[in-house]
Amino acid sequence: MRVTESKAYNSNFSLKTDIPVVSVRSVSKRFPGAIALDNVNFDILEGEVHALLGENGAGKSTLVKILYGIYSPDKGEIYVMGRRVRINSPKDAIKYGIVMVSQIPQIIDRLTVAENIILGLEKYGLTSRVSEVREFIKVKSKEVGIAVDPDIEVWKLSYTQKQLVEILRALLIGAKVLLLDEAITFLPLIEKRKFYKFIRNFADKGGSVVLITHKIYEAMDIADRITVLRLGRVVGTVRRDEVTPDDIRRMMFAEKSAQITYERLPTSKPREVTALEIRDLWVMGDYGVHAVKGVNLTVRAGEVVGIAGIAGNGQKELIQAVIGLRKVEKGSIRLYSEDVTNKGVTKIRSKGVGYIPDQPARFGVSLDNSIEENLAMLPVVTKRLIKWSAVRELARKLINEFNILTPSPKTPVKLLSGGNIMKVLVSRELFIAKRLLVAYNPTRALDEVTAIMVRRIIKEKAIKEGVGVLMASEDLDEIFQIADTIAVINSGKIVGSFPGDKADRDEIEKLMVM
Amino acid sequence: MRIVLVKRIRPLPLGGVLIPLFSIIIGVLISTVILYVIVGASPIVTLSCVASSLISPEIILTFLFLTILGVALLVAFSGSIWNIGAEGQLWLGTAAAAYVALFTSLPQAPMVAKIVMVLLAMAFGGAWAAVAGVLKAYLSIDEVPVTLIMNYIAYYIINYLVRGPWLGKETWGYIRTDMIPDQVKFTLIPGSTTITYEVLVLTILTIALTYFMLKYTSLGLRIRVLGSNPDVLKAAGVNVRVLIIVALAISGAIAGAMGAAQLAGYLHRISYPIESHTANYGYTAILVAWLSMLDIRAVPIAAYIVSALYQAGISMQIAGVSGASATYVFIGAVLLTFTVLRVFSEYSIKIVRG
Amino acid sequence: MEIASYILTVAPAFMAYYLASLGQGFFEKSGVLNLAIDGVFVLGIAIGYAAGVYSGNPWIGLLVAIAAAALFGMLLAYVTTKFPISHGAAGLSIMFLGYGLAGLIGVTARNTYNQLVASGVYPQYTLPITPTARVLMFVIPILIGILFYLVETKTKLGAAIRAAGENPHAATALGVDVVKIRLIAAAIGYSLIGAGSMGFLTWIATWSEGAGINHGWIAYAISLAAGRHPILTIGTAGVFATLATYMFALQAAYNLSPEIAKMIPFIVAIGAMVAFMATPLRKKLAPPLSLGRRFFKEERTV
Repeated sequence: MRVTESKAYNSNFSLKTDIPVVSVRSVSKRFPGAIALDNVNFDILEGEVHALLGENGAGKSTLVKILYGIYSPDKGEIYVMGRRVRINSPKDAIKYGIVMVSQIPQIIDRLTVAENIILGLEKYGLTSRVSEVREFIKVKSKEVGIAVDPDIEVWKLSYTQKQLVEILRALLIGAKVLLLDEAITFLPLIEKRKFYKFIRNFADKGGSVVLITHKIYEAMDIADRITVLRLGRVVGTVRRDEVTPDDIRRMMFAEKSAQITYERLPTSKPREVTALEIRDLWVMGDYGVHAVKGVNLTVRAGEVVGIAGIAGNGQKELIQAVIGLRKVEKGSIRLYSEDVTNKGVTKIRSKGVGYIPDQPARFGVSLDNSIEENLAMLPVVTKRLIKWSAVRELARKLINEFNILTPSPKTPVKLLSGGNIMKVLVSRELFIAKRLLVAYNPTRALDEVTAIMVRRIIKEKAIKEGVGVLMASEDLDEIFQIADTIAVINSGKIVGSFPGDKADRDEIEKLMVM
Repeated sequence: MRIVLVKRIRPLPLGGVLIPLFSIIIGVLISTVILYVIVGASPIVTLSCVASSLISPEIILTFLFLTILGVALLVAFSGSIWNIGAEGQLWLGTAAAAYVALFTSLPQAPMVAKIVMVLLAMAFGGAWAAVAGVLKAYLSIDEVPVTLIMNYIAYYIINYLVRGPWLGKETWGYIRTDMIPDQVKFTLIPGSTTITYEVLVLTILTIALTYFMLKYTSLGLRIRVLGSNPDVLKAAGVNVRVLIIVALAISGAIAGAMGAAQLAGYLHRISYPIESHTANYGYTAILVAWLSMLDIRAVPIAAYIVSALYQAGISMQIAGVSGASATYVFIGAVLLTFTVLRVFSEYSIKIVRG
Repeated sequence: MEIASYILTVAPAFMAYYLASLGQGFFEKSGVLNLAIDGVFVLGIAIGYAAGVYSGNPWIGLLVAIAAAALFGMLLAYVTTKFPISHGAAGLSIMFLGYGLAGLIGVTARNTYNQLVASGVYPQYTLPITPTARVLMFVIPILIGILFYLVETKTKLGAAIRAAGENPHAATALGVDVVKIRLIAAAIGYSLIGAGSMGFLTWIATWSEGAGINHGWIAYAISLAAGRHPILTIGTAGVFATLATYMFALQAAYNLSPEIAKMIPFIVAIGAMVAFMATPLRKKLAPPLSLGRRFFKEERTV
């Protein structure tokens, strides 16, 4: 458990006014087949940093999206400075000074920074020229300490830069309440600290911040108050200096808290056989620049190699190249001594390679189709004619093993909750991965319990079945939990490689941002 | 207070029947109003035209043709591939069949000739569609303008042939091909002047084989997934580019088969210019495929309704107006109503306070 | 051939094709698939004709054609954005309706026209075709095109429209009222299509049932071949207008059969589309990312 340097970030918190800036009363929300929020009461005070904690599916994101007008509550009311308000769209929310920044940048790639920002500035009418905001942006961004070129197209920015622009945008459109929906969760600590400083500043000047996270230490680091949600209900709201991380954990998971462990899974003893050998690999990124610049990496059978790195440093492209979804410009990839460089996904998959992509809805499972169909569509599962009885059996097996909550194997996957959709994907790929598993953020959308279970299964597959695992993750905790070898990727190169049980976290984080 | 649409977990009971039904009724009513307001057509006349068309034996041939074409388009649409080129594909099928019938010695063995006519028509229709498939698969060029444009190119190629090398010897002053030899004309069912055994068989085969393909072959499943999520297929190891081309080729082949059927079973010759002689089935089949909601079992029903609307338009006989305009109004009104009403089969209305 | 006589001859066709394709590109930039274009184009011709016949004034015809087109365009934009409705189906249904209404309205108007002529009145339903008018038919659309380019790239409206077309959900989060923006894009874009149809009516000079069918699709192809870029569309529209106008002359000069001559514009269109999709130009000229995608809130996402 981390020792938090909380003193630098928490002010002497005291109530500045009696009326909450934003207040939520008796809010409930239902989605098809699931209750997202149940009778929630929640207050945001002026000048506070309020963490909203809960595992995946607890309803934190839904609550915040309701505050931002993206969803409408089935029941309940919202109050701003004591007055009842109706927030039907982000435009309404912005009017009240409520702005959300989420984990995935919302700004639009094909537009410039200035264009993205002016869209949210009411005082500029539709006929105004985009160049009118240029100065405004330059001035404000200097104030805040973020430097950005207003005329650059967003697709040219890195993830961190995009998140910075998102926050800048929020300030420029007059945010008094910042809703950060896991916006900084996947930044490494050094980058995160920059954001902490800025958040604290913002709160001290009278703004409010709602920080959604599922990492307890993050809340302990920065928040004044913490509200814990579980299964759509508020478990409790506490002041940070009155609780310990264990208290919080208990609130989040109740009876399951014993299962949560940040401890390492047993280190595997890798076999002699090399499962995956990557030599001097060069892979082009999406924007005409090489994303992978001469990577050398070896994964032995039965070994879990975890790639640590900030998003956007080439791990996505590396994983895609290994599975065959992206062209290799130079270098080679060998799978159990067989050259599979650029041989295509079909061939590589046929060799028993499983793939858990970073965006499950886009590259993993087809939401409109059922679990059965998501199994049957794989060339490695069915040949020309489909034997539905066999597919059904496999589906049932996976549903049981992974505790997937679904009305039936024939239900379209989109009706399942986010975590269960991920379970469908992960269970399928773990089943297929007979010799190698490549994954990128495999447990991102999963709740803590399932995430641990998945990591355990992956580790078991490695230890017992000798499957090689190449896993990139933006969650450093996860890497430390599961990897036998930790490789750090930075700017498309592997800048360090360490045995998993002896690696020093600070050193790895330094390598990630150097 | 707001009205909000919420996705249904369970589909609307009887929605598959009620929604098309209401769409047709409302669509026809809207058309009746339009026809009255603009050309003064008596509502009674309009409605009786529609009613009599629903039970008129005249519509059966159109029904069969539209069923085949509806299935052809259903295959492509299931993959979210907008095949607007059924017109060109089917007419190329007609041309291919005409070639076999008029310019080869195959008609000496009629059974063989008929089969070859259909097969060659399928080959040409499929190849024509495949061109658009290649452009979509390898260059991401949208298939809508391509398939559409290729309709015109097809028309003009065939027009050129009919006016030139294929010009008939017994044409009585009309620019057209000769009539195909009697022995390769399809055989009429006793009691009918338009319906043939072969077209019936072709229709049934088309439905059965396509149903089987979509439900029990991995090709069929992949085409369906292609419709909603091509990236997932790619990551799963399916060659999406080839899949797109195959889906379009199958769609075009079935359309081509209908073209052969249209030649051997009805037209018996090709007349110039095609643009004036086509019934535009290639476009109305789009409505059929849509009304079926991509459920192949509903295609014949949708085809039945559309062919009735067709006939209703023709029988309206408004002074100075060809049947086409009235037909378009019917079809447009029904399709628009259906498109909107269909929302209710997937979503329910809720009134939300706050 | 001198530039001057070239411009004069090609002007009406150019006005028709360029305005329609310019409007279509602008409209689709907001993310709505525009399969209604042929139907509304045909309808615009018939309505312009009818309004001209009844009022005796082609400018009224122009206004009414513009208004009618804008109305249908806005209907299409509204229905596909407010509800989870297929763009293609909605567009095609409006296309069919357009064809049908055009036939009915046109025939009714033609009857009136014949009656008027029989009693010696000749209502003017086509736009003036004096040399000055022809030059304006060339110049004004180009100026509009330049204006559109500036709006698209330099104003907030342009940014909002492109945002709605790229990612309407993100656009909403950024503060764009997607419904309103698409309605604006439809009103403006389809007004141009309506104006284009008046140009077409002026070009063909007489109305008959089915007038304009397939020419809306030509405008569609013109727009796509230029990547929906307002300035590039001038080029593609110019090529088509030239081919269409000089069809007979080309035929005679090169001894082409009419069928081959008719094929040329279409083959050129496909060639153009291949040419720029296969080159790096696609970065700037690719279609809007969310074109044709259903836009609806309340969807659960992973």
